[in-house]
Amino acid sequence: MKPTKEELMGIIYESLEEVNEQLPNDQRIQKSPDAILVGRAGGLDSLGFVNFIALVEEKCAHKYGITVSLAEASSSEDAALEDVERFADSLFQRLSEAIPDV
Amino acid sequence: MRGLLISDFNINNLSSYLKKEPNAPVIDSVTTCYGEVFQTLLDDTAPCWSARPDFVVVWTRPEAVLEEFRTLLDCRSANRNDLKGQVDAFSAGLRRASERTQAIFVPTWVIPPFHQTQGLLDLSSASGIARALMQINMRLLETLDGVPTVHPLWTDKWIQLAGPTAFNQRLWYLGKIRFSNDVFKAAARDLKSALRGLGGRARKVIILDLDDILWGGIVGETGWQGITLGGHDPAGEALVDFQRELKALARRGILLAIASKNDESIATEAIAKHPEMVLKMDDFAGWRINWRDKAANIVDLMTELNLGLDSAVFVDDSPVERARVREALPQLFVPNWPSDKRLYTEALLSLDCFDSPLLTEEDRQRVRMCAVDRARKDSKRKVGDLEEWLATLKTTVRVEELNQGNLPRAAQLLNKTNQMNLSTRRMSEADFHAWARAEGRRVWTFRVSDKFGDSGLTGIVSLELAGTRARIIDFVLSCRVIGRKIEEAMLFVAIECARSAGVREVDVTYCQTPKNKPCYAFFQRSGLTHRGENAFVWDAARPYRLGHGIRLVCDGALEETSADINHSELTTSDHLR
Repeated sequence: MKPTKEELMGIIYESLEEVNEQLPNDQRIQKSPDAILVGRAGGLDSLGFVNFIALVEEKCAHKYGITVSLAEASSSEDAALEDVERFADSLFQRLSEAIPDV
Repeated sequence: MRGLLISDFNINNLSSYLKKEPNAPVIDSVTTCYGEVFQTLLDDTAPCWSARPDFVVVWTRPEAVLEEFRTLLDCRSANRNDLKGQVDAFSAGLRRASERTQAIFVPTWVIPPFHQTQGLLDLSSASGIARALMQINMRLLETLDGVPTVHPLWTDKWIQLAGPTAFNQRLWYLGKIRFSNDVFKAAARDLKSALRGLGGRARKVIILDLDDILWGGIVGETGWQGITLGGHDPAGEALVDFQRELKALARRGILLAIASKNDESIATEAIAKHPEMVLKMDDFAGWRINWRDKAANIVDLMTELNLGLDSAVFVDDSPVERARVREALPQLFVPNWPSDKRLYTEALLSLDCFDSPLLTEEDRQRVRMCAVDRARKDSKRKVGDLEEWLATLKTTVRVEELNQGNLPRAAQLLNKTNQMNLSTRRMSEADFHAWARAEGRRVWTFRVSDKFGDSGLTGIVSLELAGTRARIIDFVLSCRVIGRKIEEAMLFVAIECARSAGVREVDVTYCQTPKNKPCYAFFQRSGLTHRGENAFVWDAARPYRLGHGIRLVCDGALEETSADINHSELTTSDHLR
């Protein structure tokens, strides 16, 4: 089953909800496409980001049966992961490539 | 509270959950660099110890702190004696660090299931990894037995709660985080529960509804013969199990009480006559079975039990009653309750509010003591005059210096008592013992019994002697025996000791808390001179009067401090001269 962008946004928001459980109220990440995930403009610290991508990986594996490693991406394509929208695009592309057309 | 988290893996997620978990206490914790476990435990001068932490968590992987266990995981033969020795060394480090904090929590060792793939060999004596894991955990527990400030915690429970992803390999390789966040969340909940217990803030009473809680159905409509309880019925069997668990909690010293809208005679008949009732009326410390508002009944009941509302949990099947009580009495804990009776036991056992660092004989006997209290109050109603009634009780107060035997209960009392508590100091057993042993300090414990029964060790007084002055530091009495002239007997012992030491004045400073007004009220009527807002003083030239009808029995060590109190039995102050 190929993922849809909406499904991936759902997975990202669920993961953010879990990560937000650990964060002080004023550091929580909004569940919106333009929310900053990482970078100079704010977002998650390194531990928070590790938690976040582990959750996204896990949920994708559960839903699509595909293991996608976002850890490599986080080091090489920072800009692509900077906000929720771009993170979702990047994830969509990776999963689409990994899941063969039926 | 300030916590220090020591681990050989990244434990920052636990730190976050300790901070964010909504229940008290509020915790700020710092973590040490992972992998520096032994160095941190053994180095008293490490910076993390400079601000004394209120508690410490030492959470390790067995393969990281026990070299021989690593050898076993590699399927090489390990020396079992060396393995034991490494456990002992780890335990010694914990004991040494325990001097630098009030409590150390040590989650037991676990390993991921993929390390247990030897099949039949997992439990073999030669190379079984699962067997070795059990042995090292047992060895650790045994070597920590009797160390009152070190508290092992059962990690397996958190692993089971978190399910198959408890060991998260993604988090491990991404950030050296050993467990999934569900494990850390469960650990944070248990740690907070343990800290509440150690701080004397565990709940002490479960107030239960009857219809559709202790039994199925409405007893007022069907009679006791028609209620669902036991038998070949899933709900009936579940309710019997639920009652068994409640009875087990009562054996741990948690009081049971009833608040139910029913006719009392019908409800008590059901409890007495239904053959499958596990709980009997004697198991309940008190009850209000009538048609009044439950919130009002609960206030009344807790007043009778001499306990604050924040000591109680209210269990009711009706969301409306729960909402009403929750709104009227916010200090009460009113958990959401499942509608399916088969889930009652699980819901009860999931309440993380009864944690206690130890189980004393007084805890085991608490329900019986409440029954005795009821009999005592009944007799009070029959004998109108208070002095006359107190004389009929034939109260004996046994005084004993603080010693290793009474220390656990004394520390428990110090940390749990709110109302008759002069200073409301909270201290670990070790700290309290160390404090008491310093020069010029005396600590006594008081056991109270009367014709109705034994109330156990229910009082503590500590005194600090300095030249011609003495100061009462702790004055702690269980609410179960307040108002029976025990307070006067405790004051008598402290003042007589001070007098015999040549003291001129005995000072008392009341430290106000939201809950210890009864203590202030006692000192106001105690006969001591009120000097300043919260200060009282006794002129030690005068003896303090022991209440009539109190038989004071002083054990051994007390004789050393007071030439006057050298009798095995005293009945009035006249005997002291």
